[in-house]
Amino acid sequence: MSNIRYANMCHWKTIPYRQIGNFREFYYEDKTNSAYYSDWDSILKYQSALGFGGIEIAPWDLADILPLFGSPENFTAFAKERGVEVIGMFHGAHASHAADHFDEAVRAGREAVDTIVRFGGTYMNTCPTQNYFGTGPLTREEVQQCAKTMNAIGEYATDHGVKIGLHNEFFCAINRENHRELIESTDPKLVHYCIDTAQISIMGEDLLTFYSDYYDRISTFHLKDTASAKQPDAVRYAQDPEIADDGHRWFWEPGMGELDLKGLYRLLKEHRFTGWMSIEYDGSPDLLASMALTRYYLDNELRPIYD
Amino acid sequence: MTLPSPAISLDLINRHNQEPNRNRYESRYFWEELYPLLAAAGFSAIEIPYEPVWQFGGRSGVPFNRYCVNTKYGDAAGYRAKLAECGIARVAGITFDPNLFMRNDNLDFFFGASGHFAGEALAHAADLGADYFAISPSPFYGRVAQYHPDIESKRDLFAERTVALISGLAAKAEELGVSLVLRGEYWSLFGGDRQPPLLAALPASVKLDVDTANLFVAGISAGDFLRANIARVGCVHLTDSAFVDDGAVWQTANPEHPAGRATQVFRDPGTGAVDLAGIAKLLGQLGYTGPVTVSARQTRDPFRALLRIRALLNQIQN
Repeated sequence: MSNIRYANMCHWKTIPYRQIGNFREFYYEDKTNSAYYSDWDSILKYQSALGFGGIEIAPWDLADILPLFGSPENFTAFAKERGVEVIGMFHGAHASHAADHFDEAVRAGREAVDTIVRFGGTYMNTCPTQNYFGTGPLTREEVQQCAKTMNAIGEYATDHGVKIGLHNEFFCAINRENHRELIESTDPKLVHYCIDTAQISIMGEDLLTFYSDYYDRISTFHLKDTASAKQPDAVRYAQDPEIADDGHRWFWEPGMGELDLKGLYRLLKEHRFTGWMSIEYDGSPDLLASMALTRYYLDNELRPIYD
Repeated sequence: MTLPSPAISLDLINRHNQEPNRNRYESRYFWEELYPLLAAAGFSAIEIPYEPVWQFGGRSGVPFNRYCVNTKYGDAAGYRAKLAECGIARVAGITFDPNLFMRNDNLDFFFGASGHFAGEALAHAADLGADYFAISPSPFYGRVAQYHPDIESKRDLFAERTVALISGLAAKAEELGVSLVLRGEYWSLFGGDRQPPLLAALPASVKLDVDTANLFVAGISAGDFLRANIARVGCVHLTDSAFVDDGAVWQTANPEHPAGRATQVFRDPGTGAVDLAGIAKLLGQLGYTGPVTVSARQTRDPFRALLRIRALLNQIQN
């Protein structure tokens, strides 16, 4: 049994069909590859065939998934029939730093936990606030308020068998200057951490140092590469920097950027990490190709170090 | 015949559904490369779908709402200047549909959010110098039914609130000098033969947006419809389809993707079964001189669609 199981963070845009029964007819309508990206049956089979036994969904997927499947439970059963389980859902804890938004942030967090439980998931990777632009810099009190909110959501999640993992993004109001303060202000029994390897590196953390410092808080990963580590404030604090105007990609498939992912795997081995790890392909023009490239890199470069 | 110089809708970029390379659509560079290609294909006017969703989550590279335009270009004038530089002389129209806001069982939320963003979209249309603001009067019927299983018993209430919302927008549109036109999608609570009662309850300034594919799907003859309603037609969308809803696909939650029989409901103009040449001829015979917009919604290849449309228009116009 492997110590690490692999999932994909869902970055598929709307998948409009559950299963296309008339695939050949649909293909012949205009003879393009759209047919290959239009039903969950195919998407989940791609995952399964490439050895990704988990999927982490996003809240913005729900508006499309629920009408198609009728309920979270139905989606989970459909995925399971194809060898894929729902491991959890991402959550954005909007305005969790604002004292007057505490009740709303906790309510939304609890609702998200309830949704995850219905999907059968156990992870809720949670972005603690919105973008820096328009919000930052946060005061010390606001960081503490954010920690208070995370603890409250974390308590509810823990009681329901879900681990919340703080998930930082390089452009959020929780950023280089208060990232570690937030982690250390939360209750380690209730609030864990999901390392997004590229995001924290772009933010300015050294990946290996960060993991060594916080390995006992790490619940899971969003594994992806970057060739853009340590960006300056002017980039991280800009308005809407996640999607670059000129098409510059912040994120690359593991092995396609500059991060020391082999070094990370040596540390995973040292600290005996076990659990799910999601691969993330945001910014990829071809999610299926990215998935296949990642599988090759995992099997040939990373899993030989630690599996 | 010669059609009034048609605009092309930017809905030919399929930004919501998965397909290879769609990540490009969220970056500013993609759109700024697209405009000169539209001009090269003979279009000097565009229609923009107003989509608030790009405001949420930092996707301001998609120029489909006021926030995005202001973020990237400073204001509407800055965006118009960029379009002009790329060979696009004007924005012919803005479209708005409220599907995004049908997300719970709270009708106050739906009408509140729809009213707010539709108002913003209308003001944006005026700032862009658009001729028309085309509004879809309801979300997908099936999406409404998902959150309001008792919608049939609430129809009158829904209609009443829709009339109030659109009447308010119509008054504002008159002030702003923009023509408000009512879309008639087959999937709407007010589509097909359900549209006339709504129209009758709205101010006379509200005109019809005739969408040829939507009429085809609903099994309505575009020719007959145009002949009967030409006095109130404020906009024509030349769209194509080969799909007729002989079941109740219009009532499903995802009506543009019929479950059980996958199909591209909206085909690239000229590749479906709608007699677009005949409709263009009829428009001339009826003396229609208002806005005409072509749309390749749901295309599987936008650049092929662009040239297919130009080839079709060349045939129609010569």
